[in-house]
Amino acid sequence: MTVPSRLRSPNPHLGAYYGIVTSALVSLVIILAMLEQLGWGRAALARSMILVPLGLYLFIAFGARTYLPEDFFVSGRRVPSVYNGFVLAAITVGGVGFLGYTGTAFFLGFDALAIGLGWAVGMLAAGILFVPYLRKAGAYTLPSFLGHRFRSRLLRAAASALQLPPTALLLAVEIKIAALIAALFLPVSFAVAVVGVAAFIAAIAILGGMRSVTWAGSAEFLVGAIGLVVVVTIVSILLTSLPAPQLVYGGMFADLNKAEVTAGVVPLQPEALAMALPGPGLQPALKPFLQPFGILGPTDFFLLFLSLALGIAALPSLLARSSVNAHVEAQRHSTGWALLFVAAFAMTVPAIATFVKLIIFREIAVTPVSSLPAWLTGLSDMRILQIADANGDGAIGAAELWIKRDFVLFALPQVTGLPYVLTMLMATSALAIALAASASHLFTLSASLAEDLYRTFAGRQALPRLIAVWAAIAAAAIAAAVFLVIAEIDPLQAALTAFGYAAATFFPSLLLAIWWRRVNKWSVLAAMATGFLVMTAYAIFGGMIEIFGAPLSAPLASLAGALLALITGITVGYFTHAPSQAEAEYREAMRNPEGESIYDRAQMRAAAAASAAAAASSQQQPAAEPSTAESST
Amino acid sequence: MAPEIPDDGDPVHRHQIQTLILAVGILLVTLVAAILPVAAFSWFNRFGFLQFPLAFYLLAQGFLFFIVVIAFWFIRVQERIDLARAESEEWVGR
Repeated sequence: MTVPSRLRSPNPHLGAYYGIVTSALVSLVIILAMLEQLGWGRAALARSMILVPLGLYLFIAFGARTYLPEDFFVSGRRVPSVYNGFVLAAITVGGVGFLGYTGTAFFLGFDALAIGLGWAVGMLAAGILFVPYLRKAGAYTLPSFLGHRFRSRLLRAAASALQLPPTALLLAVEIKIAALIAALFLPVSFAVAVVGVAAFIAAIAILGGMRSVTWAGSAEFLVGAIGLVVVVTIVSILLTSLPAPQLVYGGMFADLNKAEVTAGVVPLQPEALAMALPGPGLQPALKPFLQPFGILGPTDFFLLFLSLALGIAALPSLLARSSVNAHVEAQRHSTGWALLFVAAFAMTVPAIATFVKLIIFREIAVTPVSSLPAWLTGLSDMRILQIADANGDGAIGAAELWIKRDFVLFALPQVTGLPYVLTMLMATSALAIALAASASHLFTLSASLAEDLYRTFAGRQALPRLIAVWAAIAAAAIAAAVFLVIAEIDPLQAALTAFGYAAATFFPSLLLAIWWRRVNKWSVLAAMATGFLVMTAYAIFGGMIEIFGAPLSAPLASLAGALLALITGITVGYFTHAPSQAEAEYREAMRNPEGESIYDRAQMRAAAAASAAAAASSQQQPAAEPSTAESST
Repeated sequence: MAPEIPDDGDPVHRHQIQTLILAVGILLVTLVAAILPVAAFSWFNRFGFLQFPLAFYLLAQGFLFFIVVIAFWFIRVQERIDLARAESEEWVGR
């Protein structure tokens, strides 16, 4: 008899496997560092440092291939908490956070801290409000949970359709970040890189679904974390003689302030509700790093923080991982681990921004044009940084120094004079996190399209379960690649819009579905539709609507949408029928942390009924056979 | 040793109330802890910690430390609440 995946123990050798992954990465870096000293060119180093880890991820995904639905959709419900925490953290931060938050911290300093706070509070809110209950429900997708919770195919299909904008936007954003990195360091165009990244993540997701996404994603997280920690720690030792960047960069603020003043950086006044985040192109850093609320006012800061927190808490790609642990308690622990990893990254980013800004301002803005540092040529060639002595005073002021937001991170090893292999290690880290996040978004989107939309309505004519998901994965990857080749999007703004969609559409509806006794399917449907409509109105007319003289921003629209959705959901709940007995029983079962998940119990009941029916028919058959024989005689 | 007899009410109801109070309490405390350094940044920045202005430190690190600690504390307390419910239900079942 086959034992269900969820009843088997997690692989006891996981620690050894990921120890091997870590050792392989460290060995690769050491070998390439030696080859660099022996004269290997930058192109060969870049190819080796990017392509070898890609082969490793693909190998892991191949090893995790599966055709069992329970493994394919929820990784057999036996992922240890720490490993799920790895992937949750990678999805939360993503490539856009890895590069975009670092760049935003470089340009905005104090004001950018809202992003890290939003991630952390969102993760905590998800762990308290939603994750344990979704684990007890045990549904394979978020729309499937809502469908089962209220016995409604309409609600399930609507939730699947409404999760399309946030998940697809984040998928496009992460593919774009990964493709930007590939195009920056490999001899390929952006379009080719987009196609390559889309094909790569589609292969990972097709091979083993959630299982391969989880195990390849864990390796990608480790590569991302190790790369970041190694480079930042080396820089910290070089600059401060201490290997704890998060604790020591405060000692550099006096020097940074002096360099900023010399470069002509003066305190700024924020425009109310302008939400003036830096764009993706080359731009000057004109705000003093430590000045509180120079570009984002306190209101903007709080709106950005809260919108991100609600968006992270209700992000479908994160909540889709709420059923991969063995039980409710393990699921809570995995959220705790993820929060720890996200917080560690959020604490490191301001240190990176301080290091880069101090060195760039000290060595460019304070130095005469005639004796600029050698690393400037490398960064200019890569179009990461540009300078021009526009006023001809023989020095480069802050307004004459432009840098690209999303590549600030790659400037760190170069401005500190580290070997090129460490720049490539940083690039590999960012690429790994972008790939882990994009594969998760792709799988979440495709699994829901296949399970909640296609198979719900196709009935008996539907393709087999896994084939439908494979087709959806391929279609979604192709669509994302085509969209990115045609459209020009700012990854940070697009990600904020996606989190806004999640906050407005899913946060209020999940809050009601899990925590409100009076809720019914119409209430949840109304809440989802209201939040979605507000965010869609923002996406279409956002530039035309002005609030206090500033155009409407995604965070403000998402919070307004979430509030309206909550009010609508409660109102509709009061004016429609009370929840049925089955809905009330589901709610009580969901809130009981003990025992099998509701979905698995239903599956077991269905299997028992089917085997009972089969046994009954086999008992009837011998009795029927003599009569058949008699009649034929 | 005999299991402890529940002293009041329905264990399911008690579990749900305790869970609700814990969730609301933690989220409120977290929200207040996030708002405080933003609302009173100039007052906090009069002080320093590890060579950081205090408001900057709180938002860049202090709050994040706090939230990680509170998350693991929440997990522990919630597990105790869940365990109490399981034990009570087992006792009632007997």
